[in-house]
Amino acid sequence: MPTESKVAKLSDIGNIIKDGDKVAIGGSWLGSHPMAIIREIIRQKIKNLTAVTVVGSIDIDMLIGAGCLSRLMFSFVSMEAFGLAPNFRRAIEKEGLPYDEITGLAVIIGLEAGGRNIPFLPYRGPFGSDLVKYRPEFYKEMKCPFTGEDLIAAAAIVPDVTIIHATRADYTGNVQIEGTSGTDVEMMRAAKKRIVSAEEIVSPDEIRKNPAKTKIPKFQVDMVIEAPLGAHPCSCAPDYVFDPWHIMKYMQAAMSPETFQQYIDEYVMKPEFDYLDAIGGMKQAAILKRLAREVKYL
Amino acid sequence: MTKYAKDYSVGELMCVSLAREIDDGDVIVLGSFTPLAYASYILAKITHAPNSTLLAYAAVDFRPFQLSFIRAETAATRGAACIWTMLEDLNSVHLKGRGDVEAISSIQADGYGNINLSVVGDYNSPKLRGPGGAGAPEVIKMHRKMIGYFPNHSKMTFVPKVDVITGTRYVIGAEERIKSGYRPGPIRYITNLAVISKEEKDKPFKIDSLHPGVSAEQVVENTGFELEVPGDIPETEKPAEEHVRLLREEVDPYRTLEFDFKPGRERLGYLNEILQKELEAIGYA
Repeated sequence: MPTESKVAKLSDIGNIIKDGDKVAIGGSWLGSHPMAIIREIIRQKIKNLTAVTVVGSIDIDMLIGAGCLSRLMFSFVSMEAFGLAPNFRRAIEKEGLPYDEITGLAVIIGLEAGGRNIPFLPYRGPFGSDLVKYRPEFYKEMKCPFTGEDLIAAAAIVPDVTIIHATRADYTGNVQIEGTSGTDVEMMRAAKKRIVSAEEIVSPDEIRKNPAKTKIPKFQVDMVIEAPLGAHPCSCAPDYVFDPWHIMKYMQAAMSPETFQQYIDEYVMKPEFDYLDAIGGMKQAAILKRLAREVKYL
Repeated sequence: MTKYAKDYSVGELMCVSLAREIDDGDVIVLGSFTPLAYASYILAKITHAPNSTLLAYAAVDFRPFQLSFIRAETAATRGAACIWTMLEDLNSVHLKGRGDVEAISSIQADGYGNINLSVVGDYNSPKLRGPGGAGAPEVIKMHRKMIGYFPNHSKMTFVPKVDVITGTRYVIGAEERIKSGYRPGPIRYITNLAVISKEEKDKPFKIDSLHPGVSAEQVVENTGFELEVPGDIPETEKPAEEHVRLLREEVDPYRTLEFDFKPGRERLGYLNEILQKELEAIGYA
């Protein structure tokens, strides 16, 4: 029997991501968010999603601005040095977007519990934090059954779907991540369904040349999509840096719902195929890759 | 004898003060990209703390690199001795209590060791929705020292009681920390005016040192919580000439660490200037 291929087109994500799903989004800070998939979610107008992120940025902000989220679970959402995330702020301050703010370690440990198929994991958690009081459905104070020590239980997080962006994958679903994997591995293990976009799809033989780089084995992957520059405007370390010029343009656009809609029309609602041209083509891609390589060590 | 610099910015003074908090052999975690903190750790690593281990993004024990606004992540990744997931970081460093320093900042801080990165105002109808704490609310308890840096020492930041406790040091005082399974260490805040610290739960923050030209009254006036003011407060140790040279020529030639000190309206222009220089340096005009 031939080996099954999990390779699909970006437009196929609607077969897995449905309205109302809880979607964990990989990547961290301005790095390796699965932006091609994020744009496709917006294009397909998938709605009422609950997004789960540990350290989110433009991925979360864009989904909020495009009206795809009905709830957000996060520990951090920021455009880092570029400022606070404009759509995120507006949605919470003015429009009352419901959210669960959970400390970073609790989200990661909750995902790990989800991956282990148990309801919680204990740790020396954030005693004294108001977030523990505000979200009793995610935190419980407990006693160690052996020593009596006070601990905090982090509730398991089980996403319906996890989406990540990786360095490369083979058509069967083995995934290599060479740079910042963040919580991608834990999110994939915890989820019911998983989609990976990758800079390139290679043969299983190619993957086997460097097995230590493989972070996620194929049985934890349901769909593989080839998406070169698929994290843009985020980075995909070590291959390319984030695109500060595009992010500044985004920040400007996201200042008001009207200008943000223009951004969506100009960069997102066209086919992903045209996206590279819209952001400056091969020339811009070459600059971002060149910057990633030109490092001076001391 | 150390030759102290005559010409330095308040950012450079803070940066060097933070670097001096690093002991050789420390395990240092770099959180979100904040140029001033990154510059401090790299400066410490190439001067008095060559045996420290730096962790950033997925990179563990990366080679110190020249700071750039855009390239910190790829530089750390390409220079790493080991690539970890966040969970491997947590299991090995944070939860194990092996971290020494991970400098944090926050929207508000109070005299109890609480920080607020969540909201200003009421939690359910905030005036300002902040970014959230990421790892900060928990690591400030777990790491040996809790180090904060605040480029704008004012009553807006240093409040009597934070609006929301995103996180807190929780276990304060050497004996208490050892009993709870943590290594003892102070809470210390490095600001644009002074260095203040708290070592005991029931005692207020104390002024450790005043930056050159700053008076104790000025610090007290700009702090919304009680401060202990010793009779004889030393001046903050100035950066050495060599520190300033290393920062300007090697660690941070694009002067990214000054970014935090630019008023909001000037930041975009400053950022554009840095980006232009970075492009020129790789041969794009």
